[in-house]
Amino acid sequence: MPIATRETTDPVLDGWHPIAASGELSMGEQRRTRLLGEALDIEIDLLGNASVARATAPAEPLPTHDRYGYLWTCLGEPSIPLFEIPEVDEPGRRVLHAGTIGVHVSAPRAVENFLDMAHFPYVHTDILGVEPFTEVAEYDVHIDSINELWATDCVFWQPIAATTSTEGQMTDYEYRVPHPYCVILYKTSPIDDRKDVIALFCQPVDEERIEAHMFLCLLDASNSTAMIRDFQLTIFGQDKPILENQYPKRLPLDPRAETPIRADKVAISYRRWLSDQGVTYAVIPA
Amino acid sequence: MSDVDLRDEAPTGWFPVATEHDVIARVVFRGQLDGRELAVWRADDGFVNVWENRCLHRGVRLSIGCNDGNELVCRYHAWRYANRSAGCTYIPAHPADAPSRTITAQSYAAVERYGLIWTTTNGDEGSVPDIGTLSGPRLLLRSLPVNASPQTVREHLGSHRFLPAALLETGTAASADDAEVVADHGESWVTITADAAGESSTAVFFVQPVDPHRSMIRGVLADAPADEIPVLRHHAYELGRLVRKIEEAVEEPAERTPPRGFETPVILPANPWGHQRATLSMVVDRKAAVAADIALFELVPEDGSTPPTAQPGAHIDLHLRPGLVRQYSITNGPGETDRYRIAVKRDPHSRGGSAFLYEAIEEGDTIEVSPPHNGFPLRRNIPRTTLIAGGIGITPLIAMAQALDASGMTFDVHYFVAAPQQIAFRRRLATYTCEFHVGLTPAQTTDTLLDILGTPTPTRQVYACGPPPMLDALKAKARALNWPADAVHVEYFENTNEIATDSSFVIDLARSALTLEVPSGSTMLDVLRANDVPIVSSCELGACGSCAATVLGGDPLHQDVYLNDAERQGGQVVLTCVSRASGERLVLDL
Amino acid sequence: MKLYDFVLSANCYKVRLLLGFLGVSYDSEVIDFHPGKEHKGEAFRLINPLGHIPVLDDDGYVLRDAHAILVYLASRYDPGRSWYPVTDPERLGSVAQWMAFADATASTASATRLHVNLGYDFDVDERRAAAHELFRVADEHLWFGERTGNDWFVPGPLPTLADVAVFPDVVLAEEGGIDLMDYPSLVRWTGRVKQIPGFSVMPGVFPFERA
Repeated sequence: MPIATRETTDPVLDGWHPIAASGELSMGEQRRTRLLGEALDIEIDLLGNASVARATAPAEPLPTHDRYGYLWTCLGEPSIPLFEIPEVDEPGRRVLHAGTIGVHVSAPRAVENFLDMAHFPYVHTDILGVEPFTEVAEYDVHIDSINELWATDCVFWQPIAATTSTEGQMTDYEYRVPHPYCVILYKTSPIDDRKDVIALFCQPVDEERIEAHMFLCLLDASNSTAMIRDFQLTIFGQDKPILENQYPKRLPLDPRAETPIRADKVAISYRRWLSDQGVTYAVIPA
Repeated sequence: MSDVDLRDEAPTGWFPVATEHDVIARVVFRGQLDGRELAVWRADDGFVNVWENRCLHRGVRLSIGCNDGNELVCRYHAWRYANRSAGCTYIPAHPADAPSRTITAQSYAAVERYGLIWTTTNGDEGSVPDIGTLSGPRLLLRSLPVNASPQTVREHLGSHRFLPAALLETGTAASADDAEVVADHGESWVTITADAAGESSTAVFFVQPVDPHRSMIRGVLADAPADEIPVLRHHAYELGRLVRKIEEAVEEPAERTPPRGFETPVILPANPWGHQRATLSMVVDRKAAVAADIALFELVPEDGSTPPTAQPGAHIDLHLRPGLVRQYSITNGPGETDRYRIAVKRDPHSRGGSAFLYEAIEEGDTIEVSPPHNGFPLRRNIPRTTLIAGGIGITPLIAMAQALDASGMTFDVHYFVAAPQQIAFRRRLATYTCEFHVGLTPAQTTDTLLDILGTPTPTRQVYACGPPPMLDALKAKARALNWPADAVHVEYFENTNEIATDSSFVIDLARSALTLEVPSGSTMLDVLRANDVPIVSSCELGACGSCAATVLGGDPLHQDVYLNDAERQGGQVVLTCVSRASGERLVLDL
Repeated sequence: MKLYDFVLSANCYKVRLLLGFLGVSYDSEVIDFHPGKEHKGEAFRLINPLGHIPVLDDDGYVLRDAHAILVYLASRYDPGRSWYPVTDPERLGSVAQWMAFADATASTASATRLHVNLGYDFDVDERRAAAHELFRVADEHLWFGERTGNDWFVPGPLPTLADVAVFPDVVLAEEGGIDLMDYPSLVRWTGRVKQIPGFSVMPGVFPFERA
């Protein structure tokens, strides 16, 4: 059921959601996509301006926002501002769209997988992790003053942490969840004191399907766009069959569900954070 | 035609879910029965496991995981589940922790008959059909899936035709339509006898209810033709015709219904109060001398069940007689899950336990046994492990050696004994990197330990079990060589080590009017249980919040990951499984 | 040797697989197929005017089309002549037959995967149904192979290009929403392919055993 036809106070309805990579839209293009169970039409005029409307109500344009290389829209009242990524304006960084991949899973499942380090040695073998370095050390989780969820002081041994890696390293991670379906990773750069920014913006097609938009803001000036995309698509392509074999597809918010362990601290907090905000779409409420 | 409607009746009874060809070594087969997805796998010891097809952790299908011959390993985070008991034996994200016993996958009984794997997902009621026709020679036909309900399939099977096997072997040109057939409908199968040209064949077609709209026809021919292939081809062709006929006749949804049960998440049952204290009656199935003054005892549950999962390093309590409880390490390797193997040394200075066990307990005797407890868990995240045994202290280490070996990890064993005839597990140890140190004086032992330890590196750890003087020497030498304390793990097989008192505290239970001491090494949950205070728990790792108690006084020392910062700072709730008191006392609303 | 390559492409994977089995080293020239559509760009049309990958450049000899590249590589770099058995007309015919079958899985199973993953516009229900018909036939073929001691698509002791050509579309089919549960022989065969020395994975394909 489309979220807009529900009687709901779910903040997802009033949030901004990505519906396309801006760079992939060309002038004069018309395109159909889906968001929160509804068909939307995107139209780009000859000046490059995007308009978005429900397929069922073409005369009623929806609000749009073009940020971080994506076109965003909102099906309800756009009362929740889109989160900030200040790093995009820093000098010396490359902002890049790494690709959009359809996945048969709910958005929160994809976010939770993005927050998970314990699977690195098994799913991203020889890249983001390798046996026997399997231990997830204690890390910190907090919710900041603007209600964004953070996991900090995360460390994990990685054989090839990034396209700029030349050897294995203990990688520092910080995770930030500023939006129920969007997650940002700040990761040690092998070549800079600052951190690479890697984000997953999920477009909730419906409760059990997403278009996963991969955003990068990197300190890598040397590798080609094709190489950087290849790295990200490899990683995400390895996660995809795991996500598509996960049941239920919606994320259960009952804290007793799915045998949490200490390494899942951020997942536990994420599920509670969704519950506390009243998110009901693409989850199984507690 | 039978009036049993499989659409309603499917959940009860036994059905085939796989063939013997599907459960070959090192493979996990994905099956489905009445909408419920199953992971079916055969361990190297021949046992066929039929489990719900989901990892307890994040709900990922176990059928995409690995069958290593002893354990099923989830593809996502490599949680390991044991053959038979389905209990989780290792969680690599937390190598130093022993997984809670509640982490056990849902398993179903399995029986092999007629070349098929049978199970029931609705209790053990009924039994596998006993078909007299199939008691003699038989040939397993090619199973075929059909997009139609089991009921529809059974109805159509009544008109199924095939030629007798003898005609196929001689290469006759007859058509299956010329055969005279008699169909006999059983509960969930159809027996068909076909006659043509003076020959006759009987086949039984079992109908597996896959989901309400899909079925699997699993046929078995009551004959063993010398040349199987033409017969198998004929049956595959004729059954294929029938399947197409059925699918043309019925309109079933093309989209599969999601697996039944998969719409809700895995939630482990709360660990019922008192559960951990229950003992299991076990019978001595075998007693054998394995070295001078050392006897191996094999214990099997009296009721024929599978004993609870043990991890390497775990021990069990044997209740030998009132007031006489002794702990013994389990020596089993991974996958050896139908019994506990313990080794008992007759000690002339024994205060009763081992001497009693060694001398008075014989094969066929029954002993009350606690579920395994693991105070000596084995990390498998360190590239090299050294196992150091003194005498009968080999017992937990032999279990560890087998686990490391099965995981392909590097390890070495050092085994100190007074005399060569005291060496146990000699044959198994011969396949490992193992050095025996025989008849050394205490001073020589200390020197040898110094050599074994060498310079500490972050890629090496030590596990040791043996007599207290040897372990004390090991710890002293490790300290002297600057080994980090958490890289040298010891287990005293006699409990003479000093119990640290600095982390013990007292809990006052306001409603029960009880004051209980929580000693070092015990959790609040252990103490509450031991004193019959009702409390539920689930993960016992400080992650699920099930065992929370309200704090009325005192400051908790939180060690969980469940509570949020505000709850921690508020100090009004504590998880009894992992957290402690930061002071001397906590007052709980229990 | 240079392979114009894209990590998520099933057709490129065929070539990478065979290069691994043959033990031939190569350089991967990454083409930004998605999202950059580099294979449709002007620069790439100089390499392949059809705008497809993979393309192989073996010391100046440039060849396009996955199956053509498989034939070339096996003919040039397999001294045992087992992957492409030119000395045995019947087996060679069977190899060609199953490579043609792989063309059919490419336009059905592989198309559904492109639809789900990258939003390509296909009648996905129709293509899924067609893929199921193909997989039924392949499963029966392999089931009878198992009964007669044949592990591979073309009977014989060693795998051939037929196995390489069919493998990617089968092993990736579930990404396109094609459930392989009804094809246990086909699934078992993918396990055997994964145990061939030199086997390599791609994202979406698990190794036979854990690393």
